[in-house]
Amino acid sequence: MSGGSLAAGIAATLPALGNTTHDNNDFTGSNPGIIDTNVNLFKWPFRRMKYGETRSLVAKLRKHRITKAWAGNFEALFSKSINDVNARLAEECRVNGGGMLVPFGTVNPAWPDWEEDLRRCHEVYRMPGIRLYPTYQTFDLNHPEIPRLISKASERGLIIQIVGDMEDSRVHHPIVLTRELSFDPLVEIMKNIPKAKVQLLCWNERVSNELLKKLISETSIVLDISWLESTGALGRMIEGNRWSGPEAPVPVERLLFGSHAPLFPVETAVIKLFESPLTLEQMKAVMNVNAGRFIKHV
Amino acid sequence: MNSTEFALNPAYYGIPDQQQLKDLRIWSDHYHGFAGGLKQHKEMMFYVERMGIEKVISLDIGSIEEDALVPSPIDNEEREILEKNKNKILGIIRIDPGFPNESCAKMEKWIRNGPCIGIKYLLQKDGITCSHPNSDPIVRLAAELGAPIYIHSWLKVGGTPRSPGGGRSPGEATPMDVAVLAKRFPNVPMICGHSGGDWELGARAIRPYENVLFEFAGSYPHSGSVDYAVNELGADRIVWGCHGPSRSYATELSKVLDASVSHSDRMKIFGGNYRRTWAKLFREKGIPT
Repeated sequence: MSGGSLAAGIAATLPALGNTTHDNNDFTGSNPGIIDTNVNLFKWPFRRMKYGETRSLVAKLRKHRITKAWAGNFEALFSKSINDVNARLAEECRVNGGGMLVPFGTVNPAWPDWEEDLRRCHEVYRMPGIRLYPTYQTFDLNHPEIPRLISKASERGLIIQIVGDMEDSRVHHPIVLTRELSFDPLVEIMKNIPKAKVQLLCWNERVSNELLKKLISETSIVLDISWLESTGALGRMIEGNRWSGPEAPVPVERLLFGSHAPLFPVETAVIKLFESPLTLEQMKAVMNVNAGRFIKHV
Repeated sequence: MNSTEFALNPAYYGIPDQQQLKDLRIWSDHYHGFAGGLKQHKEMMFYVERMGIEKVISLDIGSIEEDALVPSPIDNEEREILEKNKNKILGIIRIDPGFPNESCAKMEKWIRNGPCIGIKYLLQKDGITCSHPNSDPIVRLAAELGAPIYIHSWLKVGGTPRSPGGGRSPGEATPMDVAVLAKRFPNVPMICGHSGGDWELGARAIRPYENVLFEFAGSYPHSGSVDYAVNELGADRIVWGCHGPSRSYATELSKVLDASVSHSDRMKIFGGNYRRTWAKLFREKGIPT
């Protein structure tokens, strides 16, 4: 089957976005479900994942009351065949996602004709967003194509997720030399494209307190909690009471649940919700309200 | 909100509730509450209670952060806390193999004649790691005292050509250094700290030396890592640490909760192995176990 007919076949079977899951049944009641904004499928290049097989990952997510998971593809890190990466992701979410997985394809602005990959993500695979992995995909946010990518994605109403780190750089395989990445350029980019819906994933090692303050006060960027570290970090970030000293609070509305599974245990992000003495409203915000609102108008 | 109040039931979300965590009898071998002073320690105890941790072992006793042999301004307060609260908190002192005589003197003061239970190797001033022969009198004394030996170890990638451990800081041990020391003292139990960071290689480095226990605290959590260690080393050789406040309880607990092990093995990892290994010392010092 050719790539074109495969893509057409997938598009024909995917429900139109308006039918996917923004009903509120999971979000009311005393035990709200969780929207996980950060999982990845297929093979992590350096190790077999305990929950690397999609169905086992879905079962594991379900065990922890995750009702929807935004899924990227590990293959996006190194592949030049971006359309194949995205096609496989869309198909895998459809066939083995258990109605839970929402595909977030990738676009690599360092590869030529990335605009077509963006179009296919939106028009063919009906994805609500894209996920960029700059440290592996050989571009940084000063790349001249980045503002245009964010602008075009925003015109299409797509969410743009940008990943900081996949793994602690101290333990990278010695053959891998990932690129440096700064999120600083996003401040100006977002000011010029105020409607952009940008979420940072696994961002914490690359955002200083000073930059975090700017991102929160000068942009509409939202953040996942997967790499949030330190004891009680979630609650202390919301309060502005970090262990290193007082900092500007991060409004709870800007924090979205993300597990970084299957690399990280799903339990890590779930326990973060309970480690901090959060109110019910704060928990629900992080668990699903913020993500539901973020994806709602896509 | 107090430490026992939760807006939702953790059990519904597939994680232990507070009582279940307490039932696991969790001892943290790696607590940094005093690193930020007494106020930080007091704030940390809220989370220790909240997460059902039975006992924490502080690794910062008796010195400033920059120098293992320079007393801390809060030494007296730390000593008093350890003497009065051994049901909740124990202490370990840092030593420096660059200065074995001074290190042994510190051990006499704080362990034999004080409330502490063990020693920690961190980054050593002169670049000497735990494997250096200078360690020998220190380890012999620790063995005589029955004291835990905790060794900070990290395999940081770096160097030219890039290799695991090639990027380590001066005086920073790797699991290979722990292995060298363990081979020299096969009857002395010791802890390879942080799983060497690169746990896949760290476990391999200490695998042959059954006197080495493996601890995962202080690194990002990787699903399957504890399963790997149980497979390579056995559940009896793994201990647990919280590394608070710089790490979350979420990160550290999840490493073990994610593992597909029996309940009894989980209890061993969370605290049973630590209590078993140094049971004699705890008895002698009247420390409740």
